[in-house]
Amino acid sequence: MAGFAAILRKDLRLELRAGESVLTLVALALLILVVMVFALNPAGGARDAGTAAGALWVALIFAGTMGATRSLAAERENGCLRALLLSPVDRATLFCAKLTAAFIFMAIAEAAAVFVLVLFFNLDFDARLLRLGPSLALGALGFAALVTLLAAIAGRLRAGDLLLPLLAVPMFVPALIAGVKGGELALAGSPLGAAAQWLKLLAAFDVLFLSAGYLLFEYAIGDD
Amino acid sequence: MTAPPIEARGLEQSFGFTPVLRDVNLRVEPGAGVLICGRNGAGKSTLLSLLAGLGTPTAGEALLFGSPSNRLAPALRRRLGLLSHQSFLYPNLTARENLTFFCALYRIHNPAPLVQSWIERVGLAAAAEERVRGFSRGMEQRLALARALLPTPDVLLMDEPFTALDPEGAALAAALVREALARGCAVLLTAHQVAQPGSLALAPYELVRGRLVRLDAALNLRDSAPSGSGGAEGSRRNSPTVV
Amino acid sequence: MNHKAATLTGLLTLALMLLALFMVFDWVPTEAEQGIVQRIFYFHVACAWVSFAAFGLVALCGIFYLWLGHEIFDELGYTAAEAGMVFCTLVLITGSIWAKPIWGTWWTWDSRLTTTLILWLLYGGYLMLRAMGGDSPQTARFAAVVGIVAAADVPVIIVSVRLWRTIHPAVLVTRQGGHGLEDPRMVATLLVSLAAFTALMVWLLMLRIALLRAGARLRGLAREVGLARAAVQDL
Repeated sequence: MAGFAAILRKDLRLELRAGESVLTLVALALLILVVMVFALNPAGGARDAGTAAGALWVALIFAGTMGATRSLAAERENGCLRALLLSPVDRATLFCAKLTAAFIFMAIAEAAAVFVLVLFFNLDFDARLLRLGPSLALGALGFAALVTLLAAIAGRLRAGDLLLPLLAVPMFVPALIAGVKGGELALAGSPLGAAAQWLKLLAAFDVLFLSAGYLLFEYAIGDD
Repeated sequence: MTAPPIEARGLEQSFGFTPVLRDVNLRVEPGAGVLICGRNGAGKSTLLSLLAGLGTPTAGEALLFGSPSNRLAPALRRRLGLLSHQSFLYPNLTARENLTFFCALYRIHNPAPLVQSWIERVGLAAAAEERVRGFSRGMEQRLALARALLPTPDVLLMDEPFTALDPEGAALAAALVREALARGCAVLLTAHQVAQPGSLALAPYELVRGRLVRLDAALNLRDSAPSGSGGAEGSRRNSPTVV
Repeated sequence: MNHKAATLTGLLTLALMLLALFMVFDWVPTEAEQGIVQRIFYFHVACAWVSFAAFGLVALCGIFYLWLGHEIFDELGYTAAEAGMVFCTLVLITGSIWAKPIWGTWWTWDSRLTTTLILWLLYGGYLMLRAMGGDSPQTARFAAVVGIVAAADVPVIIVSVRLWRTIHPAVLVTRQGGHGLEDPRMVATLLVSLAAFTALMVWLLMLRIALLRAGARLRGLAREVGLARAAVQDL
């Protein structure tokens, strides 16, 4: 697993230096939240918990799919992805490293999005936001796995950035449903236990896509 | 008998109506070197890619250490070094960071002294802490050389390694290739012309319309004997050559 | 031999379809609550069964293709996706036609129709991938990956949509879908309809695979022409 640590460290270091991924994700999420406010005209407050949760997830999904192709695209510059594939590193290890980086960036973007959400939807900075944590974390993990796997494929195709959301969004529906429901319950003030079934659904989704990605990434990353 | 490090058997690559490589047969033994020249679009890069295991041939086999090159086990991948048109370097990492990263990928423990010695060897000591983004093409090529040779590969595939280098750089590259050959590495280079810098004793070949043709070693020039009867004549022959 | 098998399957399909049409429009009794419109149910369910089965076939072929590498699995997977897409579209259309007279709306977000919509989107994505990728073993591998992952996702989608729907009570009562058929004639009609549509799918698969094979042979010929032409230029 030495390769895993090296690749992850390299990705984080590159992100700190050139910082495209996180900034793009945060900027897109912010933009989409603004659009959602204009589109939905929410009353705000805890009564509008459902709308707020929904807007949050819309922002995260679309920011995430748009940002995903960038991560692997950066590897293709100068052919570095080819170099990684030629090296002794396992494809599955490469998947894990890329997925972890994507998860970290997504988590940061989520935190920023929640902050903005509180402002735009007249919520409060209190314990309810913490209860958002589990669903957002599980959602980010599943999303990172899904998108890392699909971006490997989409990156090799012309107009691949159109294909990525087309494939990712329907596949992500279970996590979207569960994430919004869990988020709504959290923002409305319900205890975590109420969201148990949604969190279980998210966990199942994560297990599915983590294992699928782990097993199938070598076919998705191509041989050229 | 152990399999040769580099081997092509009946290798063919066609794209639609265009055969880029036809029935290419080649063997390169440890410590031996081969130079393949040809015009632009002759198929040199395609051949190199197939040998490196990037892509699947239309027919035939490309083998490294006896295994199909596009399904190499990790242990064998460690013994392969590739120098391509692309630098395989991260623009936003420094020279040292790039080499250290590749050391980690190739499971080289305690990389710092090795990285330092290679940086000095390729003459980039002054730019070691600079990001590759600011490098000139020649500097990039030198660092790419270091990257390829750092894990001391047993097979070295190089795509036109001398083109981006000044005479000093070319001499350095030639010296590095000579060293690799001396320690038993099998080397295959591609180039535009058949002239070999630094008097490397590489066996010259040319890709002519997809066929691999052995050139006359003594003259280093193609014999212009007419091939009227269609058979192998003069010093032009297409053969599975053991180098 | 393939040609004969395809013709036989075609004839079988024709026979089953005619029988199904007779049974649906003439033989089976009208359902008490919904009236004549309910007859569309027999086609709707049959198409739904075929479209889900086809998706499973796509995934299965994907697994075998990645494992064994034979082109036939790739071809079968691709054609199954095409056929599945057709039938999935029919499910959505017949669902719409059914919903309008019964409930007054063109679309309902009940769990089954919603799941079918997502399946339709997954099919669409798969076919777009095929279209963008062109003919190559690499595209075949990509398609296999997407097919497998999407199919594995479908159970999770079904569960999640069902949970979603129980929280927001459906505006409209969920239709029955197979249970609640009291009259044995209804069961018989449904089974015949299922058989007819399955035969139709198999026939379409056979026809389409023959086309794909012809395409592959053409590519092989192109390659040989290229080789021969180059050999002539050698002289």
